[in-house]
Amino acid sequence: MPKVTIDGNVIEYEGREKLLQLCLDDGVELPHFCYHPSMSVPANCRQCLVEVGMPVKNRETGALEVDENGDPVIRFFPKLQTGCSMDVSDGMVVKTHRTSDLVKRAQKDNLEFLLVNHPLDCPICDQAGHCPLQIQAYKYGPEGSRFEFRKVKKPKRVKLGPRVMLDAERCINCTRCVRFTDEISKSHQLTIIARGVKNYPMTPPGMEFDDPYSMNTTDICPVGALTPANTRFQARQWEMAPTPSITTTNAKGANCFYWTRDNLIMKITPRQNLQVNEYWLPDEDRLVLDQFNNNRPEGPQVRADGGLQASTWDAATAAAADLLDAVDGSEILFVGSAYATVEDNYLLTKLASALGAATPVYLSHVETGHGDDWLRTDDRTPNTQGCERLGLTRTDAATLQAQLEEGAIKLVYVLEDDLVASGLAAGALDGVSVILHHYNTTNATLPAADVALPAAMVVETVGTFVSEDGHAQRVRPAKAIKGINRTLMMETGKSRTDMHGTPFDRWHNESHQVDCQPSWETLPAIAALLGHPMSYKGPKQIMAEVAANHDAFAGATYDAMGLEGVRLEEIGEAV
Amino acid sequence: MAADITKELSPLPDRTPEPAFSADELVWTAAEQEQMEVYKKRYPTNDGAIMRGLWLAQDKYGWLPPEVIRLVAETLEVPYAQVYGVATFYTQYFKERKGKYVLDVCTCFSCQVCGGYDMLHHLEEKLEIHVGETTEDGLFTLQEAECLGACGSAPMLQITNGSYLHNLTTKKLDTLIDGLREGKRVPFVSVTLPQDADDLDGNRRSDVKATDTYHAPPVAKTVK
Repeated sequence: MPKVTIDGNVIEYEGREKLLQLCLDDGVELPHFCYHPSMSVPANCRQCLVEVGMPVKNRETGALEVDENGDPVIRFFPKLQTGCSMDVSDGMVVKTHRTSDLVKRAQKDNLEFLLVNHPLDCPICDQAGHCPLQIQAYKYGPEGSRFEFRKVKKPKRVKLGPRVMLDAERCINCTRCVRFTDEISKSHQLTIIARGVKNYPMTPPGMEFDDPYSMNTTDICPVGALTPANTRFQARQWEMAPTPSITTTNAKGANCFYWTRDNLIMKITPRQNLQVNEYWLPDEDRLVLDQFNNNRPEGPQVRADGGLQASTWDAATAAAADLLDAVDGSEILFVGSAYATVEDNYLLTKLASALGAATPVYLSHVETGHGDDWLRTDDRTPNTQGCERLGLTRTDAATLQAQLEEGAIKLVYVLEDDLVASGLAAGALDGVSVILHHYNTTNATLPAADVALPAAMVVETVGTFVSEDGHAQRVRPAKAIKGINRTLMMETGKSRTDMHGTPFDRWHNESHQVDCQPSWETLPAIAALLGHPMSYKGPKQIMAEVAANHDAFAGATYDAMGLEGVRLEEIGEAV
Repeated sequence: MAADITKELSPLPDRTPEPAFSADELVWTAAEQEQMEVYKKRYPTNDGAIMRGLWLAQDKYGWLPPEVIRLVAETLEVPYAQVYGVATFYTQYFKERKGKYVLDVCTCFSCQVCGGYDMLHHLEEKLEIHVGETTEDGLFTLQEAECLGACGSAPMLQITNGSYLHNLTTKKLDTLIDGLREGKRVPFVSVTLPQDADDLDGNRRSDVKATDTYHAPPVAKTVK
């Protein structure tokens, strides 16, 4: 295999590689701003300059020339080369800032230039703490600036579009955002206007930056020039803890980080997964913070004296069990959910079959025309495939209504869905007992519920979702819930300082904890009261059982899914 | 805070301007359309023809408001944003309405020491406008320009991205302005570099008669 020598270390490579990408793949850090692996290489930030040389060959014989020690003679390019645009070739010798003072000096001077007109407003900048310019200025930059004149004034607080704010003074003109709209999202909405020190990215007059993927530019912006409008000035980077998970706005299962502070989701950013969403996340996936933080229920409720009254978990599960016990299995309609995890739906099917009820149905939430063949799908739920693979029956509100009007159904058990908001007439549930696992107090089925059991959302639970493409991925709890659950505590990321230690530790934080339970905890509790014990240590064991018993889930164990998920075998026609 | 600190050197362009041309005006004639096709064929990709297309549009409309830039983009089938970026990069593309004659007075280094600013100030007084402004009759726009590459005949000015006027004197400027007011364009004058004068028998160009021979450069009033 061809070899390159970088700072004396020999690296083997295959195919045509760019030097900077080779370094990144190999864990050799090279500072850079404008380069992005998925976009074209403009080489305009000049930060990845390195010394590059090739072994000298005798022109006639083609033999390598050697010096008196027998080492090959290396002839270096007269000028420094940008690593991002440099094609590596066999025998190439590279000196980075680790071994070359020239490169070190070039990086330092280049940063001094980049900082000439850059406002040093890091203390009020949202990018501070994860800003490539800040980090690299600390690591490779000069101690101060020799520029003692007034900096160029440019527009600030510009609303480029409904979701992206621009601070033109901070921009270093790397053109990543422009290239993103040109090459990735293909909306062609941005350009660099003017020239010299006066230039900055802008939309042309009469055009708004309303690309459905516009907020990706705020992720790839190497400075604080582009920031998301919805999370601006909400939290500092170091106050939040990221949890690797997936988004549930649609059936794509795009990988993301949920950023948490004080048990509130502060922002959602993409997580690299080349099999699913690469580096990107649609805007709609990031704008759902509200549903996780607000209008969350405060514990279970049971209908008494004509209204829903606050209850305890023991009393509420007992009430649910009593309701289920009072009717015959054939009179119960179990409604699973494409919002819920595979584990929750699986336990529901187990409960249904234990009580002799029909296979659970699930409501399809397809919004035709919403998808775009990329990261947005017509299906607005994350787990339709999971329900299909478990054998749940797809239904819609009209069918459900007809079924209820027949009168044979005495009890509806709804798992993490909203029947009334999906189009079921509220009157259809009159005279029918309803047990509801719900996420938000805005759930329109809640007024009809007899037992309301708050369910943990994707940011609070452990479970598996199967994307439209059959990619099974597991989620991890990003925020803590009120109850103590060993699995959730163990699965919570180690970066969560507020989650470790005892309630007596200074950093322990109980604010904004929602009194809810993952359905894989509630369902077995109800089943046990009905005399059908389901003993599982946790969702990992449930999923292992699903993977072992269902061919459609073959291989989808927690260990196999890891952080990037498992591509399942295709089943029939995709939904 | 001082006004010059808060003044934006690079202000935000009007993002929702009123269109200056109606939809009826925004059409090419058959000849112009044909010319655009020629430009398109000249380059491997259509974006190569952006500058040509903008130039044609500026000839037609006098300046380039956003709707004209959009027209060029649509004709060339390239993104509107990209064409707008090109148009804002070059000062020769006028993004706002200018006078019939745009006088770019060079005040870069050589012209400055030879009296470029004297010429500029003379014009300001004569036209009764400040640099960057347009006269009320819409005839003249006065602008300061950086080096236009004619240092040998400094001070100089350029008229509407076109002909140069070399070796400026206030008298020359008066004749120019009065002439232009009557619609008389300046005649072409070739300039010979001093080092070429002897070798090339006075002029290396064929239009010897139209030559202004080299003379000692003037000096700016402020140069001591």
